[in-house]
Amino acid sequence: MNSIGTEPYIMLSMVMFLMGTMGVLLRRNAILVFMSVELMLNSANVAIVAFAQQWGQVNGHIFVFFVMTVAAAEVAVGLALIVNIFRERHSINIDDLNQMEG
Amino acid sequence: MEWLFLIISVIAVGAAFMMLQSKNAVHSALFLIVNFGCVAFLYLMLDAPFLAMVQVAVYAGAIMVLFLFVIMLLGAEITTDTTGNMRWMSIAGAGVAILVLVLFGFPIASDLLSEEGLEPRVGTSMVRVINAVPGADGETFTIVEGGFDVPLENEVVTTVTLDASDESLEDVTLDDIVYNDERDVIREYVEVTSGEYTINVTVSDGNYESTPIFSETVDLAVDAAQSVVVYENVDGIIEVLLLEDDLSPTEMGSMRLKVFNGVVEETVSLVDIGQYSAIQSLCTDASCGSLISHRVLIEDIPAGETTTIDLEEGTYNLAFVNDNNDVLRVLQSYEAERGVVETRVLVLEPGQLGGQSTYRAVVFSAIGSPAFGSPEAIGQILFIDYLLPVQLVGILLLVALIGVIVLARPDALAQAERRRVNRRRRVSRPLVSVLSQQTGSDVLRGEYLAKLSEGSDDDPQAE
Repeated sequence: MNSIGTEPYIMLSMVMFLMGTMGVLLRRNAILVFMSVELMLNSANVAIVAFAQQWGQVNGHIFVFFVMTVAAAEVAVGLALIVNIFRERHSINIDDLNQMEG
Repeated sequence: MEWLFLIISVIAVGAAFMMLQSKNAVHSALFLIVNFGCVAFLYLMLDAPFLAMVQVAVYAGAIMVLFLFVIMLLGAEITTDTTGNMRWMSIAGAGVAILVLVLFGFPIASDLLSEEGLEPRVGTSMVRVINAVPGADGETFTIVEGGFDVPLENEVVTTVTLDASDESLEDVTLDDIVYNDERDVIREYVEVTSGEYTINVTVSDGNYESTPIFSETVDLAVDAAQSVVVYENVDGIIEVLLLEDDLSPTEMGSMRLKVFNGVVEETVSLVDIGQYSAIQSLCTDASCGSLISHRVLIEDIPAGETTTIDLEEGTYNLAFVNDNNDVLRVLQSYEAERGVVETRVLVLEPGQLGGQSTYRAVVFSAIGSPAFGSPEAIGQILFIDYLLPVQLVGILLLVALIGVIVLARPDALAQAERRRVNRRRRVSRPLVSVLSQQTGSDVLRGEYLAKLSEGSDDDPQAE
């Protein structure tokens, strides 16, 4: 069935998750930050599916399914927010969004 | 397999990297689509075809189209990253990345290099006991105990104990099992921790309890299913048979039929006899022509052995025939349902009227599990096991949809403010005009006209 085991998938998932983290930390464009978050969610999904395969439990797939659903909802709301912020400030640089700073 | 994984993962990581460093947001989105496609491919490699399709449709399709749409709507293709005072973030980010890689990656990598697998997992295996000795019909059954035949006169009750060889495992006792050929009961398994067990079988008829008539040590593997079948053999002596049940997914659109030949002295074949269900023996001469056509499904099962075939979905007339082509037993209008795993035990029933022996085929069925990761399996979990969470997620999506509509309405808040102002003005304007009319139009007139000329009467503060 799966001849290469679970570990390579976990390694790949970790690398992808780290790249997503770096994107969130380093990029200032709100849309790119959002895409990086999607990348992180996806890498977590890969890890879950790999573990589901290792243990032969389909429940992991259901979890991934829910993560995908929540991601879709989150993207819809987040992009609507970004559109509104852009209308207000004509910029989607997240460094400009500091009005809630104490 | 390994090279495939390597290629896919290199593409995935490369696409992710390009996404991160690309200056054009549209290019970033396109690279992210490539990455999602690779992830979908990984899902396929991990036996999750349904998730792979959802990944392509939802992520690479819907979500990324949304991203591209917003990027182009805002005209934000060129991303100028003016990090400025946030430069230390990149150092912090790199530090975190290296730390995580060392902390988590090193143990995994060393584990991979040492080529030692993970610890063997503790799983469960399934055991069921089938008492195929019908009781309460005046028949007597015999057990052999210490060289003597002991007759049992009432309904035969079976007790099976599983004595664990390992101290850490618990012993399991399955008692009071009586003859019951209802499908639901026969399908029921008991879950036990995997390991080595000694299976002991005792029978009783209410008055007399035997010493173990059967004892065998078996290794119950993880996820394996074992049937302990208690049946009577040709001589009317109760015997025990251990059958390993294969509950893995069946071939697409077919069922798995396993046949055990419990008739000691003969070999038995299983044939599909077509529509002629009343025949006594098979005609194998050339002279028969097409009159009776039959198809041999399993040829020559030796006594005491099992054979397995995949039977396509449909209705069959099956017959067990012996070496002389005499029909021993016909299974008329046998329904082959897909996904079902069934075991048939053919035994000789002794002591019927006139001393004539007849054959009977005992059924043990079990529903096989749907294929791992298939839409069938996922549907079962989504809509049977996790119905409430699924509904909650549906509501979540609906709320998100409403939220998006509210957020995306142009100037939703400004409109509400204008409506509030309008309401106040509707009251105040007539009042002013009434006042000015009644007082000879000199009290407020100057101010009011000045305001009108400034065009500031839309300003709520002016009121």
